[in-house]
Amino acid sequence: MLAILDTAVVSGLRGELVRVEVDIAPGLPGCQIVGLPDASLSEARERVRSAIRNAGFNYPLSRITVNLAPADRRKHGAAYDVAIAVGILLASEQIRASGGPWALLGELSLDGGVMPVTGVLPMVATLRDAGHRRVCVPARNRDEAGLVSGVEVVGVDGLDDVARLVAGPRGRLAAAARRRAPIRVSGAQAVPDNSSWSGQGNAVMGAARSWTELADVRGQQHARWALEVAIAGRHNLLLLGSPGSGKTLLARAAPGLLPSLDEHEAREVAVIRSVAGLEQPTGERLGRPFLAPHHTTSYAALVGGGPALRPGLVTQAHHGVLFLDELAEFDRDVLDALRQPLEDGTVEIVRAHGSVRYPARMQLIAAMNPCRCGWYGDPVRACRCPVREPLRYMRRVSGPLLDRIDLRVVMPRLDATELVGAARPEPSASVAARIRQAWDRALARSGGRPNGLLRGRRLLEACALDESARATLAEVAEGLELTARSVHRVMRVARTIADLRDLGAVGSTEILAAASLRDRSLEKGPAA
Amino acid sequence: MTLRTATGERQAWVGMASTPGVGDVTFERLLATWGDATTALEAVARLSPARADEELAGLIGLRRRTGLAAAIRVTAADPGQPERAMLALGGWVLTPLDSAWPASLHEMEEPPPVIFGLGSPASLVAARMVAVVGTRHPTGIGRSLATRVGARLAQAGVTVVSGLAVGIDGAAHLAALEAGGESVAVVGGGLDEPGPAVHRRLARQIAGHGSVISEQPSGIRPTAGTFPRRNRIVSALASATIVIEAPARSGALITARHALEQGRLLLVAPGRPLDPAVAGNLALLRESPARPLVGLDEMLVDLGLDDQVPGPRVPGTLLSTATALRTLAGPEQAVAQALSRGPQTVDGLVRACGQPPGVVAAALTLLQLRGWAKVLGALHLPAGPLLDPPAGAHQAAGAAAGGSGRSGERRMAS
Repeated sequence: MLAILDTAVVSGLRGELVRVEVDIAPGLPGCQIVGLPDASLSEARERVRSAIRNAGFNYPLSRITVNLAPADRRKHGAAYDVAIAVGILLASEQIRASGGPWALLGELSLDGGVMPVTGVLPMVATLRDAGHRRVCVPARNRDEAGLVSGVEVVGVDGLDDVARLVAGPRGRLAAAARRRAPIRVSGAQAVPDNSSWSGQGNAVMGAARSWTELADVRGQQHARWALEVAIAGRHNLLLLGSPGSGKTLLARAAPGLLPSLDEHEAREVAVIRSVAGLEQPTGERLGRPFLAPHHTTSYAALVGGGPALRPGLVTQAHHGVLFLDELAEFDRDVLDALRQPLEDGTVEIVRAHGSVRYPARMQLIAAMNPCRCGWYGDPVRACRCPVREPLRYMRRVSGPLLDRIDLRVVMPRLDATELVGAARPEPSASVAARIRQAWDRALARSGGRPNGLLRGRRLLEACALDESARATLAEVAEGLELTARSVHRVMRVARTIADLRDLGAVGSTEILAAASLRDRSLEKGPAA
Repeated sequence: MTLRTATGERQAWVGMASTPGVGDVTFERLLATWGDATTALEAVARLSPARADEELAGLIGLRRRTGLAAAIRVTAADPGQPERAMLALGGWVLTPLDSAWPASLHEMEEPPPVIFGLGSPASLVAARMVAVVGTRHPTGIGRSLATRVGARLAQAGVTVVSGLAVGIDGAAHLAALEAGGESVAVVGGGLDEPGPAVHRRLARQIAGHGSVISEQPSGIRPTAGTFPRRNRIVSALASATIVIEAPARSGALITARHALEQGRLLLVAPGRPLDPAVAGNLALLRESPARPLVGLDEMLVDLGLDDQVPGPRVPGTLLSTATALRTLAGPEQAVAQALSRGPQTVDGLVRACGQPPGVVAAALTLLQLRGWAKVLGALHLPAGPLLDPPAGAHQAAGAAAGGSGRSGERRMAS
């Protein structure tokens, strides 16, 4: 007999429909999976056989052929397990599909349990778009799949549950099937599964635990202002400063300042989290991602890839912030990989059998010391690096990358009077409110485009420079020897400063203030 | 036999002094043994090659050194080579035989037998020369102090002498040139590659407004030994030496010691007690007859220059601070006033002026465009007219920063 079921696979961030065909014919007992399976999928054979038996069914002693269509796409992973197993049960006539059509997702364990898989959100959306009304997913993926509207989602724990769903209320054998309890030797209940894969990075979402409250940040008025401007306009920001000046502390205030995601953005972020195997926060709004990977992070982790093509950190930070502490300590090719995402907001992974393009419109906040010893340019402590070392250290971060960072600010160490001063700094909430207003103004003006992404004519229109502002800009460009790219950078930042002050047009003061946020004195060397 | 003319003797003198292995002491002994350089070269060249080093050592009464006689014989064959090499670089050579030899070097106990130079030899006999020295690894404050001292000296018509090293030396040289003054750099190696590579451009600029000199012929690279030796020339050329910032064991302390031994005035910036960056300064103040450097005006008084008319100035700094401040309004004036009291961070200016960072930042850019402020890392330094606060501006700025804007204005206007 032949059984045909629908399931799905993730490609990039989109789901694709996959049809599972199971045929059982007389012949030498055995199971053959065709349709370009890779090694991990060939192992499905063994999982499926044990799961069927341990769930209380019989594994047919016949010739079993499983075809995964379309046949020209390489198949990977364990998400087809449930569909294959149910296909075998149907084809061997142990159950009948009298419960109506179901789309099935899930991985099997040997005891017949159904394990969660990644990418449920886009897969369920694809199945819905293909006309499916009912989808069966692993219980642990139930909430995530529930984010898709217009489709009935059922979460299951074991293959026996799936069989009961498919067979409907009249399926007797299915109703009688019971999973056998495994013999447990260790007391540990938690088996590492895909959904705890999120170990890398530090995705702060929703939870307030690791933010910095700005009211706790003493001094650093200048840098706080720079951070406010950066977030209000989604400008990339570089914090330069001696050890202990508070760069990391300040950067970690960003999650408390970011405006919330809009509907469309929230959906994209949820899909990325699903495909990356990160848990979906339940019961609260999805926050903007804030990722702070360590400087030993590899190229594949940042950009994405791996055998299963997972989205990397630049994609996980889509619509949020990627914070790179100790920027100069990252590998050079890891940093250079940031150039494409910073430029187009996407990242492309090209493989022999095709390419995937992930969205990666993240805001970069980076922090670094000005030199190896950390004290170059400090007012009161001498730098002990060899003469050219500070320059060399800055140059570890390539020019093209620095070029894409609109804002840079040098943070001095605090002196004691600031640390013990009585004045209570402004709390995050009131700064965030100001940012929100500036943000809304910018988006309303430029059709949903934050100032940091304005280019060309759009930028000129948004700035609406009058005669005197134009003259100031020309004077700044000449006096500070700005390149054309830098002039645009100054204009973008000036636009945001004006938004924070609720000004319709960018004036001279905003241009002068913006120009101060691109100091390059530390890159020029000690001679001058 | 060479004709014994003054020119011939001068050539032999330069040649002998430039011979590898011949330092002050050997040169002195060679002269003392044979009376003049020409005779000495001829005599050494006639020694039998096999035992020349031993015989030479016996004759001049120094320890035997292998290869010394051979080196002198090479020089004797062509004593004009070092001077020709120097002329090819566009430079010049001075010896104590020349009338242009600076009198200040005659006063030295062990004067260099020869000085090679680029630029203007006249700069070595300038009426007023002051050495500004310090560490290669300055703090931001040290660097900015060197800049202010260098600029102020140049404005008072003083030639700033230093060693062309990175750090304090470089900052002082550069400030003097930027203020339109002259500078003299004394380097440890040959003048084909003067000073550290990062200062090649600065060296050329100094040669254009003063001179770069060395006691080493071209082709000689500086060694650990040549730096302390050139320091004695730095201090000897100058009538006073100013130590800006010196940690313990800094080379600047050697210059300071030479200055004291040569009977020169020594000014030392005090710095903060216990601060390792100025440990050398503090030791000098405690253990030597150095005077503390307490202010730029007081510095000129100590140097005996307080009655001097200001020297050359670069265009745009013809304004006094008070006049310059009057051309500004509102927050820019407040920021400029605070900055004229000394280098500040943006946060410092935010506190001093009571203006938000955005406003202070805009004002700083404006001042930078006018050439009245500079940036170094987190520090913003006053420049141009803001460097030169006339008496009274200190109090005025202080009053304004204290929150009493009106009294500040009144004093500014007076």
